[in-house]
This record gives sequence, C-alpha cells and structure tokens, in this order.
Amino acid sequence: MNLILEKQALPGLLQSWREQYDVYVPQKMERFSHFMPLTEESVLVTGEPHNTRIPPKALFLPMTETLVKFTRFGGYEDAQQNVQPRVVFGIRPCDAQAIQLLDTSFIQEGYTDPLWLERREKTITIGLGCHQPCHNGFCTTVGYGPFNKSDLDALLTDLGDTYLVETLSEAGEACFQDLSPASDDIYEHALEIQQIAHDQMPVAFETENLKEKLEQNFNSKFWEEVSQSCLGCGVCTFLCPTCFCFDIVDETQRKQRVRNWDTCMFRTYSLEASGHNPRPSRVERTRQRLSHKFVYWLDQVNQIGCTGCGRCVRYCPVGIDIRAMLRQAQTLPFEVSHAV
Amino acid sequence: MPDLNAIKAEAKRLLAEGVVEVVVAFKPGDTPLHPQPAFFTNVDEVENLVYDGLCQNNLATFLTRLPKTKKVGMLVRGCENRSVNALVVEKQKSRENLYLVGIPCEGIIDWRKIVERAGEAVLAVNENNYVVEIETRDEHFTFSKNELLHDSCLRCVHPTPLSADILIGEALPEGNLAIARKAVEEFEAQTIEDKYAWFQKEAERCIRCYACREACPMCYCTECFVDHIEPRWTESGATPAGMQGWHIVRAFHQTARCTDCGACERACPMDIKMTYLTEKLNHDMINKYNFEAGLDTQTLPPFATVTLDDKNRFMA
Ligand code: SF4
Ligand code: SF4
Ligand code: SF4
Ligand code: SF4
Repeated sequence: MNLILEKQALPGLLQSWREQYDVYVPQKMERFSHFMPLTEESVLVTGEPHNTRIPPKALFLPMTETLVKFTRFGGYEDAQQNVQPRVVFGIRPCDAQAIQLLDTSFIQEGYTDPLWLERREKTITIGLGCHQPCHNGFCTTVGYGPFNKSDLDALLTDLGDTYLVETLSEAGEACFQDLSPASDDIYEHALEIQQIAHDQMPVAFETENLKEKLEQNFNSKFWEEVSQSCLGCGVCTFLCPTCFCFDIVDETQRKQRVRNWDTCMFRTYSLEASGHNPRPSRVERTRQRLSHKFVYWLDQVNQIGCTGCGRCVRYCPVGIDIRAMLRQAQTLPFEVSHAV
Repeated sequence: MPDLNAIKAEAKRLLAEGVVEVVVAFKPGDTPLHPQPAFFTNVDEVENLVYDGLCQNNLATFLTRLPKTKKVGMLVRGCENRSVNALVVEKQKSRENLYLVGIPCEGIIDWRKIVERAGEAVLAVNENNYVVEIETRDEHFTFSKNELLHDSCLRCVHPTPLSADILIGEALPEGNLAIARKAVEEFEAQTIEDKYAWFQKEAERCIRCYACREACPMCYCTECFVDHIEPRWTESGATPAGMQGWHIVRAFHQTARCTDCGACERACPMDIKMTYLTEKLNHDMINKYNFEAGLDTQTLPPFATVTLDDKNRFMA
C-alpha cells in the first residue's frame, strides 16, 4: 500500500508505537548517529550523515552477549535474552539489505542461530530511502540501491513536507494503518525522486568478472600493494553491516560464556593453538576481507556480500578505500572460465 | 605549507643515492579527506607523494612493522620525530638505519571537523597560509585552519622536528607549555564523580577495534595484553569492565612514551577522546621527573630505568 505521512505527524506516530513495541531510531551520539531506544525526549536524526556509525546489525548481533551462565558444581543455564517486540525506524536500504545477507548465514536448516532468529522475528524494520544519496556509498554499483526494498516492512521516501510510505508486509501495514492513501500523482512523483537518486550514484567500479579476477589472482602482488598501509584494526569489519564473525570466550571470573564481535583483520583471529597462523600477515587478511565479500558470498548465496554502505571507506584510519582496491583489481589479468 | 617539490626532490635523492631503501610518506587517497600512508621504493613512484594537513597518521607506527635492519627514510613532523626518537630509545630501530625528512608542522586537520561543518561530499581541499578552502558537491567553504585542527595539535609544544636529518621549510616557534596544560588542568579541576562520568562516557563507546593501538607508534607489542589468553588480563567483550580496562591500561602503558601526537584519537571510529588520559600522564612525568618522551635518542623514560639506589621499597 502507498500511504502519505505528514512529517509533522512522525514524532507522534513513533511515540504511539511505544505502546506495543520497543522503538529504535537513529539519535545523535557525539558527532554521529546511533540506533537507540526512543524515549519522550528523543530527537530523531534523519539527515546527514545518512548511516548510523554502528550498523543496525548490532541490534541483532550485539557486540558482546552472554550465551551461557555456569552454575556451581558443573551445571549451566542458557542466558535469557528477553527481547521485546520492536520497531527499528530509519534503517537505510543498504543496511536492511545487509540484514537479509546475514540471514542467509544465521538462519539455515540445521544451523539456525536461535538468538539471531528470535531478534529477527520480533523486529519490524522501517526503512528511510536516500533521496540525496551519500557521497561515499556505492549501493547501485553492487546491485542494490538507495530505495532498495529488500528486507524492509515499509520504506519511506522523503517528499519535502511529507513522506511516501510504501508498506511491504502486514506488520508494516499495521504500523501505518491510520494514514490516508497516496494519490497516483504523488506515487509517480516519488518514483521519479527514487529514480533520480538512483541515477545520481556513480559507478564506483565494474563488477563484471570481478570474482574471477580476484580468484585467479589469489597469489598476485596486488594484495601486497593494496594492504601495505593497513593497520590491521577492526574498523572496516566491525563497522561493516555484513561482517558477522564472532569469537566465543569463557569469562571464567564471571562464570559466563560470551560471544564477542571478532574480525579476520585481527592477528588473533586465525592464530591456531599450535602457534601457526594460516593468515600470517595483513596481506592475507586483506585478501580474506575482500574475497569474502566479492568471491565467497557469491559462491555461497550468489549475492555480493557488500551493500555499498561506504562505512569502511569513511572510517579506515589510513584511507584504504575498497572502491579503489576493486578498481585496481579490475586491471588484473584473468582468463574467462568455462565452468558449467 | 612546506614546498612539496622540495620534499619530493629529497625523497628522490634518498632513493637514487641509495641512502635508504624505502621512503615512508603519503600518497593521495580516493577522497581528498583521506590521504594514505605510502611506501616509496623507487624514484619514479615519488611523483605520487603528497603532503598536506589531512595526512592524519603518525608514520612512526610503521617503523616497527618494517624489518629492523632496513634503511628507512621517513617524513616526520614534530610529534613523529619524537615518536621515532622514543622508539630508538627503546631499541626498536637504530638511528643509523634512519633518515628523517623533517617538516615543521602547521598542525593536522581533523577531517571530522570538516565533515561536521561541510558534509562528507568533499571534492577538494586547499590550504594556504592557515586558510582552508573546501569545495563540496554543492558549496564552497572557507575556514581558518585553527578551527579545523585536531585537539592535540592545538596544544602542540614542539611542532618542528627536533632531530631530523634535513628540515624542509623554516622552523616554527615552540608552543607554550602553559597552553598545552590547559586541557589537562580543566580535566583535573572536575570533581572525582564528574571525572569518572566523563571517563565512562568516553570509554564505554568503545567497540574494541584497537585502531587506537594500531595507529600508535608506541603500541608495538607482538601480543597486546588484551589479546593474551592465559591468563586473561581483562574482560574480552565490549562490557563496561572490558572497555574501561582497555582504556586505563592502554594509557598507563604509554607513560613517558606518548608524544601526544593524537593519532589514536584520529583513528578511533567512535570519536572517543583518550589523549586526556595520556596527556595527564605526560604532564605528571614532566612535573615529577622533568621528563618528556622523544626529546632525544638516549634518555630512558623514568619507569624504564632501574638503579641500585632506587628508593622503592620493593627493591630494598
Ligand atoms: S580499517 Fe583500514 S587499517 Fe583498519 S583493518 Fe581495515 S583496511 Fe586495515
Ligand atoms: S564492505 Fe564497506 S561498503 Fe561494503 S558493506 Fe561493508 S562497510 Fe559497507
Ligand atoms: S597514545 Fe595516542 S597520542 Fe600518545 S603516542 Fe600513541 S597515538 Fe600518539
Ligand atoms: S579506536 Fe576507539 S573504538 Fe577502537 S578500540 Fe580504540 S578507543 Fe575503542
């Protein structure tokens, strides 16, 4: 359904959801925005910078969470997570797409992560499209876009004084049930805005044959060149909406088994008990990060594992830019493979 | 701004004459806000060398990542030179294997201060005589450079490299220690509750990505205390205890080693302030021991020296 929402009415609507749901909206934290629970005083941030600094994946896979609590005499109990039904408002399409990508990893027959699943099932996601696309994002390059609808229950398009609300599921419809329908003219106008935004996004790099090039140049000098100044920190992966690696640690003093975010860019990530490290330097680790997103995701679910949110570009402390790396990768030699 | 051509000429000479095997400097990034550290090994590549106020890293952090015996040329500003000195004191590199191209530093621009004022769609940044012109997708901005400088640079005492092999450009006047102390004094003047609240607010935003550690030239341990498993020194997760533990111990490990370059803060993706802790320790070291890190390549930091007449009870 296509509905029309007065901007003035938005704060009231968000507050009304609180009767039934925990509501998360982007709010200001220092110099950036962050998804935080809505209270009476909350001020919603919808303008620049478009994305929250920490991607909304953190609402589904917290940085740290307790899995098991140990009791005396060798017993244990599963930690209760106590997630209330919730609405996350203001997710950008790249980040919503990322949650769909993560579903393919966390929700699999026989291997479903119950914590992830519960949070997903209890969450309604309402997207805010990017009518003025951000500068360092490149969603269209990787096949998604500023008004991508994947994995949203509703998507809003900014029309100036109003939003067009496209509901995309029953849950989404229920959130906006009191709104009046948008006329065909308004809908057409919104589509135009969406198209203009889409066309504004530059092509950051070519994706054709990219996978083959990266695969066939596994041992190329290229990886050394692009990783030379890499510090081996966790910025590009922790802030990435599609990175989901974690480490399970027994915090013995607390008698808890916890799960923390981890990253392939850390030395300790691939360090084995023997002391051997199959990815001994930043060269192999950088290769892993890029290959996971642009080779292995494709092998596994036939989707690129980067949604072009631009966070790794913005916040890498040494200015390593995934777009530039992939443009350079496109100049590598390769042979067309004829695999069936 | 120092003459870029003079920097390039010197870098080329160093490589051509075999004085060094690699010159560590900067190259353009994909956007003007983020120049990238770069490693030049032949003369032709040096054409690509850039230097401006947005070069935010402390290049000395790469020193311990290069083979110890490699002859390294490095572009150094005041703080970088002091970090290099501190590393030489700690025997991480011998001074003979180094050639320092010094740049009297007008301060490092905090790119976040640009984004805050002009948005992220920055197409060009031009600096001239302490004025910064910024071209964005939709607008033109003019700022005084001081407005955009990183906080550490605003309190810098030694902007001119103290022991470079060559200086490109004129030496700048030393900064004022009284001004440098202001931030620490303001912090100290707070009540203990306010100090703790401030510390909590900063530390507990931490995502434990360790960009601050990796960006810091003095954090070169092969195994950082947070990565140690048996025994575990801190909580592993992004919990209050874990985050506070990281921030406290990281700062203490910098005692009399930190040069207040601010690279840790500039690297932090969560805009966490942390130099107030290291600066407090720096000023304590100046006040109590009359010691400042990196002023020369011989003097050991007070806590790294042990003598038989030490008054510590546990030594008796
Ligand atoms: S953010 Fe940059 S420096 Fe840190 S690991 Fe990623 S590429 Fe390397
Ligand atoms: S790889 Fe970079 S641009 Fe792509 S989704 Fe991750 S953080 Fe965003
Ligand atoms: S602790 Fe921070 S300010 Fe001090 S030397 Fe390290 S990076 Fe520079
Ligand atoms: S860079 Fe910032 S977020 Fe990362 S570990 Fe250091 S203080 Fe924490």
